[in-house]
Amino acid sequence: MGEVIAIRQLRISSRATMATAALLAPILLFMGTCFILPLVELLRLSFTGGRGPLWAYREIAESEVYRRVFVNTLLLALNVAIIASLLAYPTAYMLSRLRGWTLSFAFWCLLFPLWISVLVRTFAWILLLERNGPVNRTLSAVGIIDQPLSMLFNSTGVYIGMVHVLLPYALLPIYTAMRNVDDRLLQASDGLGAAPLQTFLRVYLPLTLPGVAAGFLLVFLLALGFFVTPMMLGGMQNLTVAMLIDLFVTERLVWPLAAAASFWLLLIVLLLIASAGRFLNLTQTVAAR
Amino acid sequence: MTEKSRVLSTIAGSIVLAFLVLPIFAVVPASFNHASFIRIPPEAMSLRWYEVFLNDSEWWKALLASFRVGLLATTISVVLGTAAAIGLERVTPRIRAILLGVVLSPLIVPVIMTSIALYYIMRPLGLHGTIFGLAIGHSLLALPFVVVNVGISLRSIDPNCTRAAEGLGASPLRVFRTVTLPLILPGLAGGSAFAFITSFDEVVVSIFLAGVQAKTLPVKIWEAIRVEFTPVTAVASTVLLAITLLLFFGVKVAGRRLASESAPHGR
Repeated sequence: MGEVIAIRQLRISSRATMATAALLAPILLFMGTCFILPLVELLRLSFTGGRGPLWAYREIAESEVYRRVFVNTLLLALNVAIIASLLAYPTAYMLSRLRGWTLSFAFWCLLFPLWISVLVRTFAWILLLERNGPVNRTLSAVGIIDQPLSMLFNSTGVYIGMVHVLLPYALLPIYTAMRNVDDRLLQASDGLGAAPLQTFLRVYLPLTLPGVAAGFLLVFLLALGFFVTPMMLGGMQNLTVAMLIDLFVTERLVWPLAAAASFWLLLIVLLLIASAGRFLNLTQTVAAR
Repeated sequence: MTEKSRVLSTIAGSIVLAFLVLPIFAVVPASFNHASFIRIPPEAMSLRWYEVFLNDSEWWKALLASFRVGLLATTISVVLGTAAAIGLERVTPRIRAILLGVVLSPLIVPVIMTSIALYYIMRPLGLHGTIFGLAIGHSLLALPFVVVNVGISLRSIDPNCTRAAEGLGASPLRVFRTVTLPLILPGLAGGSAFAFITSFDEVVVSIFLAGVQAKTLPVKIWEAIRVEFTPVTAVASTVLLAITLLLFFGVKVAGRRLASESAPHGR
């Protein structure tokens, strides 16, 4: 009798396993053939070219020009992440204090740009930062500048555009961290006689720092591979790794170099995730829309 | 925290939010320029460039391609993503974390890398320059949003609801259709809307995969900005912005209605 039940349960559980496998198989098959396979193929390609198996990787690492592109990209991503985090912190603090419709409204302001194409957002900055554009005209009308500033096709434009596009990614994790701070801790600190600055530095900042780390890392990672904004707002002297890869593929037609540069970039991304990935909560970022 | 820090953060925060939202709308006044160059605000307003846009079959073709790719990518990612989200609820946390990592990885791998890899593999297969090829690329980027949002909805369902249906003798498929599906509808709707917009707005994968035959609206705008710099690009950008805006507010309103309808049963 017991045996019959056991066999029946086994049959049910194996049927459940089959069902689970059937549910997961399509996406795994899809990701395998359309994502992992192409990347493996790209990896294989990076070892070809006939000048020794690692020549493409070595060429990228040893050439002064390519190395500078990597360093510039890292610096750009780092600065953009710093600026975005600094701007996001007070904004997230404001959001964490809002309630009711003002909170909903502020949240819409924050999420709405994520829906708009990067292309439209970047194009808008071309229009605004032009030599005769509204920003220059306003600045000279107020009397801050005599000569129009050139803010396009140099790093100024790239910084403004990238901070604009990536700021929401820094804001969301910081906001979440601030929402989770227990107000009673701040009151306790106040009650024990700490000055406001002391309460901030010794209680509030340490509690919200993981959120800052998460936002910073996310912006840094996304900025590293950015293509559209630096391509449109920057110039050839502000070459990023993504632009270099594009150049290898579309202009110079050297696929091994494009593939090797891609994997150098991916290696940096993976190293960053390995060292600080515990702060990163991608699921939350993806769910926040 | 003092009153002063509150006031200062409110001022700074408001400026930052304004910086996030307002510049996007610069393309709108630019699209009403009468002159052949762009000036904001326009010296003379006209709909001249809207006429140019509407009379150019190339722009219409791009808009149509965008919709076709978007719908196909949404279908692929909703079907695969919903099945995966349900499957992920049935495996051990360890396996779930690994599989979720795989599904989310296209958001971490630089898009330029995914683009050239797909371009390289699709060209000999004849998928380059097709609606289908583009939809595959976009689905990779859209799937995470479907899997995560449907997953959140699934976890908010009271397990007693499905257990009751099973106890009453409903087949697994019937349980899904009559109990699970209605309850995850808000998450599914939100996820699929964002999947559509991800595809509709996408630039980098599209530039590499579109070829001559499957140019979407963003690809056409990208090319137009780099070749000619006339207000017609601002018109196209405004059209893209307007469609996205409609969908954004549609989803926010519908999402609220769906959520309030299913709230008494869900949880």
